[in-house]
Amino acid sequence: MCCNHTLENNKSTDQKPDESFELNLITGMSFFDPHVHMTSRTTDDYQAMADAGIVALIEPSFWLGQPRTGVDSFKDYFSSLVGWERFRSSQFGIKHYCTIGLNSREANNEALAEQVMEVLPLFMYKDGVVGIGEIGFDDQTPLEEKYYRLQLELAKEANLPVQIHTPHRDKKRGTQRSMDIAIEHGIDPTMVIVDHNNEETVKDVLNKGFWAAFTIYPFTKMGNQRMVEITKQFGPERIMINSAADWGISDPLAVPKTAALMKQQGISVDDIRLVTYQNAITAFAQSGQIDESDFTSGIDQSIKFEGNSILRGGQQPRINKSSIIIR
Amino acid sequence: MITEFKSDRFIALLSQILKANIPHDAYIWLNNDKNVRADAFDTAFASMPRKTGRRNLTLSADQLNDLRVLRNGLSLNNWTADRLGRVQLLMRFCLANDKDSLKIIESLFATAEMNEQIALYSAIPLLPIPKYWVKRCIEGIRSNLDPVLEAIMYGNPYPAENLDESSWNQMVLKAFFTSKRVDLIYGLKNRANPELVRMLIDYAQERRAAGREIPHGLHELIESFTDPKN
Repeated sequence: MCCNHTLENNKSTDQKPDESFELNLITGMSFFDPHVHMTSRTTDDYQAMADAGIVALIEPSFWLGQPRTGVDSFKDYFSSLVGWERFRSSQFGIKHYCTIGLNSREANNEALAEQVMEVLPLFMYKDGVVGIGEIGFDDQTPLEEKYYRLQLELAKEANLPVQIHTPHRDKKRGTQRSMDIAIEHGIDPTMVIVDHNNEETVKDVLNKGFWAAFTIYPFTKMGNQRMVEITKQFGPERIMINSAADWGISDPLAVPKTAALMKQQGISVDDIRLVTYQNAITAFAQSGQIDESDFTSGIDQSIKFEGNSILRGGQQPRINKSSIIIR
Repeated sequence: MITEFKSDRFIALLSQILKANIPHDAYIWLNNDKNVRADAFDTAFASMPRKTGRRNLTLSADQLNDLRVLRNGLSLNNWTADRLGRVQLLMRFCLANDKDSLKIIESLFATAEMNEQIALYSAIPLLPIPKYWVKRCIEGIRSNLDPVLEAIMYGNPYPAENLDESSWNQMVLKAFFTSKRVDLIYGLKNRANPELVRMLIDYAQERRAAGREIPHGLHELIESFTDPKN
């Protein structure tokens, strides 16, 4: 069904303007994707992201598409975010940060949630952890609220930024509640990144002094033409975009693609830089964990070591994807 | 059983090196006895780079000499300040606490990020009851994180001193397989054995059959093991 639909669409593209993504539109620009679930992505994605100018990213803790049944699965997941996934990313010259938290869906399993809350402090203080996230509401249940509040307190204690996931359903109300509760806990809105905004929520989020993040994700969240309009309307201040790419049909190049579209449609390079790079860094660097001078260190490590043809620091050799030969 | 190794003298040397390499307030913070208490130890270990920074260490000629005398086989080449700070903290923690300290240290491995793992594996040749860490070391050699492998393989006397033959041989083979600097493995010559030579020859043949490059130093190593003059 969906495939037929796509084919029909393709037939009618003859009349449409060229929609191909030209990397040369954004040559020399650097991007920071502050929300992308790399554990679900392939090395091809990492390569493409590096090629498109993504120099650093944040991987928020979330659910895995199905519920976990024990606390050890959470522990291993958090470990992989600060361990293997971070290393995998460095192999492509991309600096990997993460946020640690109990996601809203799994907050509904109270027995498990209690155990997860106990292990969070083991990870919150680790290097490269730039916030508590993604936390907040999904169905907006009392249990979701309980663990959201408890985690706000953890963030306050550790002086870490908070990355809020806003719900798909009843979004406007859920976003409102998330902000009200954060304020009630005495958290400064400048320490809170409210994610997955849309045209309906952005005004309120900005007016209240929070950071407004937008997820460019096909079908269910924002499209990037809408994002161009929002940026034109609200300006670049306290706005950031991300891909939230995960195991669903999503696009890890959403940030550079949106930058290219913005450039094509006349948004200034300075403003593009703010929404695709700098604002996210300013917000999450409040953790004390982001140093821009680290961003290129992965690439420096690729320098050959003592004349040996060994790739240093685990930098991955490039493979020629267009060749029929696999060596 | 505590080995001959004098951990208090060694801690004094590490402290002296740290003093010259980290900010003064970080040095004061690190040496606070509070950090070796069980309730503060985890957080002190995790937050080390925030205090010490991660600059590469510089050692004086005297310090290099003392290091050789006090712990042969250990190299601090390319170590960063946070790595040394963590190792010093782990040693002090063992000295200040009873043998439960090893269990607590062991629990750190389960949640350690890469740089924490590097520090932990760097510390095992310096902790009491070396044999306690054999399984952990073998597990570390299974790591996919190259910098962790390097922490075990390079300038670390633990494997040569503690691993049995089959684990040792796997480590050497893995070093070639993952393109490591095999010449930096401590005890390589002393622990040569016929089985390792066979494995290395097989590996060289497998590479040749696949039309792939023979790793740098593989032939030389096989020759040095099989040369009757050695």
